[in-house]
Amino acid sequence: MLKYTARRLVYSVIILFFVMFLIYVLMSCMPSGYVETKARELASRPGATKSYAEWLDDLNAQYGMDKGIVGGYFIWLGNALRGNWGDSWAWTIPVTQEFHNTVWYSFALGLAAFILEILIAIPLGITAAKKQYGFTDYFTTVVAMICISLPTFFLATLLKYVFAIKLGWFELAGMQSRNYMNLSDFGKILDVAKHFVLPLITLVVISIGGLMRYTRTNMLEVLNADYIRTARAKGVPERKVINHHAFRNTLIPLVTMLGGSLPGLFSGALITETLFSIRGIGYASYTSMTQADIPFIMFYLSFLSVLTLLGNLISDLLYAVVDPRVRLN
Amino acid sequence: MSNQKTTSYSLNEVLKERATQEQHQDSQGEKTLDDLSRVKVLSPGRKVFKRFIRNRLAVFGSILLITMFVFSFLGPLFYPYGQKQIFYKYDKQHINYAMAKNNTAYNGFELDAGVKVESSVNNVMNSRIKKMIADGRESETVFGDTGAWQIDRLTDDIWQLSQVDAQEVCTYGDTTAEIGTYTMVGKKIEYKSVPVEGMEDAIKKAIADSPAGGTFELNGVTYTYTRGKAKSFPITASLQGLNYTGEALDEGFGEAVKAAAESGNGFEYGGVKYAMKKDGKAWKVYALGEAKPAKLYSCLTVDTISPDIKVTTEMRIAAMKAAAGSGEYTLDGKTCTIRNENGALIVSDAEGNELFELTPFSVRRYNGDDNMDYELKKAVADKIREMATAGQKNGSMTYPLPMQNENGEYAYDEEGKLRYADADMAISQRDTGEYVITCDQIIYVIDMYAPATSEHILGTDGDGFDVMSRIMYGGRVSLMVGFVVVFLETFLGVVMGGLAGYYGGWVDMLIMRLVDIFYCLPYLPIMIILGAAMDAVRMDTYLRLIIMMAALGIMGWASVARLVRGQILMLRDQEFMVATEATGIRVKDRIAHHLVPNIMPQLIVQATMGMGGVILMESTLSFLGLGVKHPLATWGTIINSVSSASAMAHYAFIWIPVGILICVTVIAFNFVGDGLRDAYDPKAKR
Repeated sequence: MLKYTARRLVYSVIILFFVMFLIYVLMSCMPSGYVETKARELASRPGATKSYAEWLDDLNAQYGMDKGIVGGYFIWLGNALRGNWGDSWAWTIPVTQEFHNTVWYSFALGLAAFILEILIAIPLGITAAKKQYGFTDYFTTVVAMICISLPTFFLATLLKYVFAIKLGWFELAGMQSRNYMNLSDFGKILDVAKHFVLPLITLVVISIGGLMRYTRTNMLEVLNADYIRTARAKGVPERKVINHHAFRNTLIPLVTMLGGSLPGLFSGALITETLFSIRGIGYASYTSMTQADIPFIMFYLSFLSVLTLLGNLISDLLYAVVDPRVRLN
Repeated sequence: MSNQKTTSYSLNEVLKERATQEQHQDSQGEKTLDDLSRVKVLSPGRKVFKRFIRNRLAVFGSILLITMFVFSFLGPLFYPYGQKQIFYKYDKQHINYAMAKNNTAYNGFELDAGVKVESSVNNVMNSRIKKMIADGRESETVFGDTGAWQIDRLTDDIWQLSQVDAQEVCTYGDTTAEIGTYTMVGKKIEYKSVPVEGMEDAIKKAIADSPAGGTFELNGVTYTYTRGKAKSFPITASLQGLNYTGEALDEGFGEAVKAAAESGNGFEYGGVKYAMKKDGKAWKVYALGEAKPAKLYSCLTVDTISPDIKVTTEMRIAAMKAAAGSGEYTLDGKTCTIRNENGALIVSDAEGNELFELTPFSVRRYNGDDNMDYELKKAVADKIREMATAGQKNGSMTYPLPMQNENGEYAYDEEGKLRYADADMAISQRDTGEYVITCDQIIYVIDMYAPATSEHILGTDGDGFDVMSRIMYGGRVSLMVGFVVVFLETFLGVVMGGLAGYYGGWVDMLIMRLVDIFYCLPYLPIMIILGAAMDAVRMDTYLRLIIMMAALGIMGWASVARLVRGQILMLRDQEFMVATEATGIRVKDRIAHHLVPNIMPQLIVQATMGMGGVILMESTLSFLGLGVKHPLATWGTIINSVSSASAMAHYAFIWIPVGILICVTVIAFNFVGDGLRDAYDPKAKR
């Protein structure tokens, strides 16, 4: 187990190295004028202390652009490993600080959505599987399919239209009301929570379909297994068959998958956060992307890659932990 | 039925045998257990088809997809509007119709081309005339850089500028005159003008007293000297009173100059006109000669009584001259008379027909065009005069304006004459003095956000495009993007996965690590960055569409490759593959003809499901404004065009149908994909 984990870790690091390299190449292949534009902008800012040429040299040196792609990559990687990710161009604070400012909002939103998703999707998926080809099954399948097929932006716009514009229950976007500063501490929490409702619904609806289908499929497979037939044959009550024999076995793939998606809670919801102006990491990175904030983008993309690899690793390890039949080597 | 082997090859016997068999079956009405016709053998394709159409959701999805394809690809052929067609409409708007004001700008009309008016004089004529009116003067002489000019009032609204000869006669008041320069070296004075007696002694004495400079008196005149360069002393005399430049005139003239100096105006003495010119503290007096008229200045504007009369500059000048004089003029053999009415000059010809009017009160369309009827102008002017006397700032009047039909064109009656309809006009005076006349008018504008009508089934969007046609063309692009991207990623995936799966070893190792890396790349952020970068270089819409499709395809091949490799690893060891190896089929053919057909079902399912994902991705990017760009329609850009909070609230009829279309298309692809998977392999894990 330990050996396997260590090997996977080394393997992940190697993949990460190449992924980051690809990202770096992509960023350096950005059309010319990317850094130049930035240098011009910095030089023309009020109170700028450096000229355009100085800024250009400075920026090129800062991001190792003057050392060629490979050389530049190693310089950047060296800095990044020492925790020096540079200053964000769009936010004008160190990248890590901006990350720290935003990631917890994303995490809160992601976690709430994750819990709700589990609470809704798994029972529905199991119910659908219990009554395969029944009305509930069809209904669940169609609803799951609609949820999977809904474009995030359309759902978000629709929710805004109905709940913010027509009904006026929530605000269109943002995280705080206008009177936020006058509220008590508890009131502030409630206020932010209220602003999180619509993004939360969006996230839950978007992700619920996949989990529902996954649960249903796995439950169906378990229900068709021999040991379920045996349990039924020896007269175990149906409720017990479902809840004890079937559901526990369905948990194996579920826990593996959900465990694997845990790191994803930190990655932020790019579209949802942007549309609702939630100052999470998704919104921050979207702004950075549209403003060509290379340091922050590099950081965010690397961060996402790490999360993906971590998710895969956790998922594989959990598989062995949950299912005693699986031996890792 | 006909699979039975017959022992006889005679056609007659075969037919006979078949007939008896059929008869036998008909009479029995039941088939034996091993009767071949009992087992209906279906081809694999038909078997899959049969399973597929048994799945209600899949059939529903297929119908949706077919509808969508017909709608987007055939719809535009029958729909009358294009995706980039902008629609206009005629809208009744409350506009500023006309502007009325007292014309206070005096425009010049050249009388004598031979006299060139100095621009320094010409440029200030407006303010000079206004000042003369304010001071109540009728005539004034101004001095330019080269000569003297005389301004004469003909009427309040017409002024004449003439060039005049001016001769300096005398100066009056405190003035200084340069006498000469005394040099210590030569001990003498170099005189500028007439030598003064006793000057040399006086200056020597004065210098001896105060060498730096000072004053001394000689014969009642005060002289001033200063120390200049090289021990020379310029001497000036301070003169007072009247000093003649040439020969002196009589006492009476002196009195007249004194009186004129009080007022600063010119005067007439002994039949000669004199002008005063301020020069420092003193006055210079000029005798004026004959005046040559150069220009007329007038604030009158021309309003023709009927639109077919052309008023030339000559006519205007002649009329203005006549207005100040005899009230009659003859031009090109035609005699016209002029009559004054409320400050306006009305010109009529010998028969008494009124031709045109010169008026200081101009009524024009708000944009400055002069296309209003004379009667309307007169009515407005009368109303405003009435308002002014009553001291009102706002008023209203009703006047028939040319009627416009719904297209904004003028409406004509049967005889081809304009039809008029009463229009309510509101007149209000601005703080700056002019009057603005407002009324309702029909105007040609872009038909933005039109509601759904029979002409535009879903209305129009913010750019005046027909939403229905945008949706059709948008569907075309969206579906096309889906197809191209899915084809590209499947192609790449099959090649890479096939290579990895078939060869194994280091090829497999390399490709699968590449797959791992591509799996790890964040898909959406990279597309957003790419879109933003293409924005930065302002890339052509079609080019960026192609780049976007290529990028989506390259990003998506990894999952296909993994699927293909897995399938091929499984198939590679099966007997039929061993057989292909044994029969010596080439590697290329083995992969293309034996392996790939066997993984076709999975590929088709994967591709169908992938279409939905790609369409979602494309619409998301386009919605963010980073995918397909404006004039080209896709479902994402249509929603994007009304995504601002206010547009979203008011134009739900635009974005909701489009959003539902995206959703329905993706659902349909997923249903069909699911159905296909179940049909190909009923036992597959979903």
